[in-house]
Amino acid sequence: MPNRVAIVGIGQTYHTSRRPDVNQPEMVAEAVRAALADAQLSIKDIEGVFFSNMETFEGIFLPDHGMAAEVGAFGKPGLKVCTGGTSGGSVVCEGFFFVSSGLYDLVLVIGFEKQDCGDTTAAISAAATPMWGKGAATGAIGEFAKQALSYMETSGAKEEHAAMVRLKADRNACRNPYAHLKLGLKSVDDVLQSAYLVWPLRILDFCPQSCGACALVFASEQRAKKITKKPVWIADVETVHQEPFRAGVFGDPTGKETYTQHVACERLYKRNGITNPRRDIDTAEIYEPSNWEEMNLCEHFHFCEKGEGWKLIEKGITEIEGEFPVNCSGGVIATNPIGATPIIRVAEAALQIRGDAGEHQATRDIKTALASALGGPNWTILTLLKRSL
Amino acid sequence: MAKASPKKKAEESKPEYIHVKFEMPRRYNWSTGKYLGHFYAEAKENKKIVGNRCPQCKEIWVPPSGVCPKCKVEMGWDWVELPQTGEVYQYTYLVMPLWDPHYGEKWANPYPSAIILLDNGVFYRHRLEETDKDKLKVGTRVQAVWKEDYEERGEGPADILYFKEIGK
Amino acid sequence: MAERVGVVAVGQTQYHPDRSDVSEEELAYEAVVQVLEATGLTLSDIDSAVTCSQDFWDGRTISNMNIQRVVGAHLGHEDKVAEDGINAVYVGMSQILSGHQDIVLVLAHTKESQADKSVVENAAFDPALMRQLGLDFVSAAAMQAKRYMYKYGITAQQCAKVAVKNRGNAKNNPLAQEPMDITVEDVLGSKVLSSPIRLLDTKPTSDGACALILAREEKAKKLTNKPVWILGASNCYEVHYLGDRDLADCEAVVKAAKKAYSMAGINNPLKQIDVAEVSEEYSYQELLWMEGLGFCGRGEGGKLLDSGLTKMGGKLPVNPSGGVLSGNPVGVAGMARVAETVLQLRGEAGDRQVKGAQVALAHGVTGICGQHQCVMILGNR
Repeated sequence: MPNRVAIVGIGQTYHTSRRPDVNQPEMVAEAVRAALADAQLSIKDIEGVFFSNMETFEGIFLPDHGMAAEVGAFGKPGLKVCTGGTSGGSVVCEGFFFVSSGLYDLVLVIGFEKQDCGDTTAAISAAATPMWGKGAATGAIGEFAKQALSYMETSGAKEEHAAMVRLKADRNACRNPYAHLKLGLKSVDDVLQSAYLVWPLRILDFCPQSCGACALVFASEQRAKKITKKPVWIADVETVHQEPFRAGVFGDPTGKETYTQHVACERLYKRNGITNPRRDIDTAEIYEPSNWEEMNLCEHFHFCEKGEGWKLIEKGITEIEGEFPVNCSGGVIATNPIGATPIIRVAEAALQIRGDAGEHQATRDIKTALASALGGPNWTILTLLKRSL
Repeated sequence: MAKASPKKKAEESKPEYIHVKFEMPRRYNWSTGKYLGHFYAEAKENKKIVGNRCPQCKEIWVPPSGVCPKCKVEMGWDWVELPQTGEVYQYTYLVMPLWDPHYGEKWANPYPSAIILLDNGVFYRHRLEETDKDKLKVGTRVQAVWKEDYEERGEGPADILYFKEIGK
Repeated sequence: MAERVGVVAVGQTQYHPDRSDVSEEELAYEAVVQVLEATGLTLSDIDSAVTCSQDFWDGRTISNMNIQRVVGAHLGHEDKVAEDGINAVYVGMSQILSGHQDIVLVLAHTKESQADKSVVENAAFDPALMRQLGLDFVSAAAMQAKRYMYKYGITAQQCAKVAVKNRGNAKNNPLAQEPMDITVEDVLGSKVLSSPIRLLDTKPTSDGACALILAREEKAKKLTNKPVWILGASNCYEVHYLGDRDLADCEAVVKAAKKAYSMAGINNPLKQIDVAEVSEEYSYQELLWMEGLGFCGRGEGGKLLDSGLTKMGGKLPVNPSGGVLSGNPVGVAGMARVAETVLQLRGEAGDRQVKGAQVALAHGVTGICGQHQCVMILGNR
């Protein structure tokens, strides 16, 4: 029988655009110390350390080796995974499998990105195969621009709806001490007046490049119950990767391609007896690089009917006080240190379940939460968290 | 009587951070391999756009693939010449310039890239010639424009300069 | 842990200095196709893929995008490990032991010929202190070799004997890149790369790929009549800054081996292990890693080699395949060691077969002076 796995410690840095005061290892060490303090453990208790980071963004090869001493991996087992935007989700899966298999009882799962070190968009453009991408690659932004267009065409959503999603994200981020962008946006006009990046995406429609790290402590059931009264159980994980669409990566205008989000959530929901996601799940921390994509993802994950993602924001359903809060933390559009972002989704979802999210705690009681990761040509990793199994 | 104005606090000196600046040109020599190599050869020699067809599901893949992503079977050597005309299915354009990390060039503003539905139903992605964003439209009929000089070709899809509106 | 994890098929490409005829994807597929044919599986039967490649070596962010199509990652589970390939086997093993996957395809690929080796390796050194010294893996290894030889009196001849042994062993490995009939004098007369490491003490630039299929015990027994079981595995990090450790030590190997041995019930490696495949990127490393693996005491690596115990026909042959020295690309090397031990345990190692092998050790390194080590024990009972 596989072991049950719980999150017993959560730590983050205060995410921001530049951290000239620390180098990469020091920044990660901040998150690790915070997670250990939260779990009231010492690094000596940790049996393995697992990392996630996109090396090309900082130009540092084998960064986990570089920080072995500072984060306490020295003398311990561990390894690094690197799968693009979903990297953090992959490392959550690896940590989960290693503990669930019985090979380890207590591990650290770390994600980080110090994006002030390099040029991220250039590096993302380098994800297009160099033998095909010259001139056609416009980084992730170009793809999300096309997604926004498709979404507007197929769902009837308006720019105002996207702006409302952005306002919600900012309101929530202002209540989250760790979030990066806290802009104090007041109205839809504030959003609609920001300049275009890649038409029709405006600067405010897209996620920032942040510096930050997030660390989680995973424990087997036996250890978890001794460490904390509030373990957050990882009920299940699901990874679905794929080829890029020919017609559109994040929004297929032809309607013929299969989305990884659908495949992933359908498999996860079936295995966990979720038949009505809005009822069976209490909140979601989804990886939405743009506000348009948040509306799209809500449809993919069956939080609403197809074509109606924009109605959720219109009716206030996804607000912190709402019926189905989404991204109480402010989401990716407020905070995006790429290697850490999916782990932050899991961390924030776990804080909600523990009731420890402070000012950005959802109004309703959160017993079950879904965290999603997105990356590459629209890959998906889902993590389902529960207060009790 | 006014009180004396409070002495201004001495401005807190900002710490000076030391940075390490590093430029790292990394040279690579990528092999195109059998399948992509054939695409490159057809583009250079014959100014043709080709894709390969899956023996099982008959889907045409461009960029060409050794294994059909959907059926997961080996593709074999069934090549299809694609039409060079089509219509703009979806487009976007860069407003803020972006660096291309492979070639060190900065893509100009505006920089229109599009998904083009070629006349045989296959999607192809490339730049458009039209740089006036107000003139860009879905449904515009477009045609591939190649680099005419043989010596300049040999860059695969970049051998096509852009797709331009037919009749212009 | 109920069922064990079995390796049911292995595939390796011919290791070659320059495969300009293929792209990364096509190269990787050459290895994948071998394991599919051996088991009769198709890519659709694979539950999950664990790949291993480095963005810096491939020159492409998210380098697993290069080979996704050939591991059946379309709408499937796929992870990429950014350490040596043996760690991908370890991750695949954990996925099966956790009960979440039954059949896992593990793949490693690198085309060293495409990249600028020194520049890529230099990027692994921390930016503030070591990178400006212009170090790459060879120059760092040279420091380790010098320190090791100084501390324990290991001689250049002893290191050279490793190259002679392994290159000679490679003659029996049809996939080896550079089998050679050389003498100690040949090695000591070859060009100095970074003193004391010479050309023949070093692995050559290599392109290649390796793939394995792992399966849960019950399924493994159906997929092959000669499954090889993973009895134990672990890995370990050393510190990064070269000045922070005594380079003549190999604590990371000791720790990784300790946990792997304890899982596999090994307390006397020389006696209980029948064959070992160790990742020796430079000749002195085979001696140093053997000490960490407990084949001999500290500082006795040279003596152990001189004794002949690790030769073909000896008590514990090390690197019958020719090892990394005979040509394995970075990242693939450790997984190739696992593949070779599997062949040994299946009795399929041809002219390099160690008779009656029942328990084998595979070892992989990643990073500067073996900063990250992984040890795996396999058996056929």
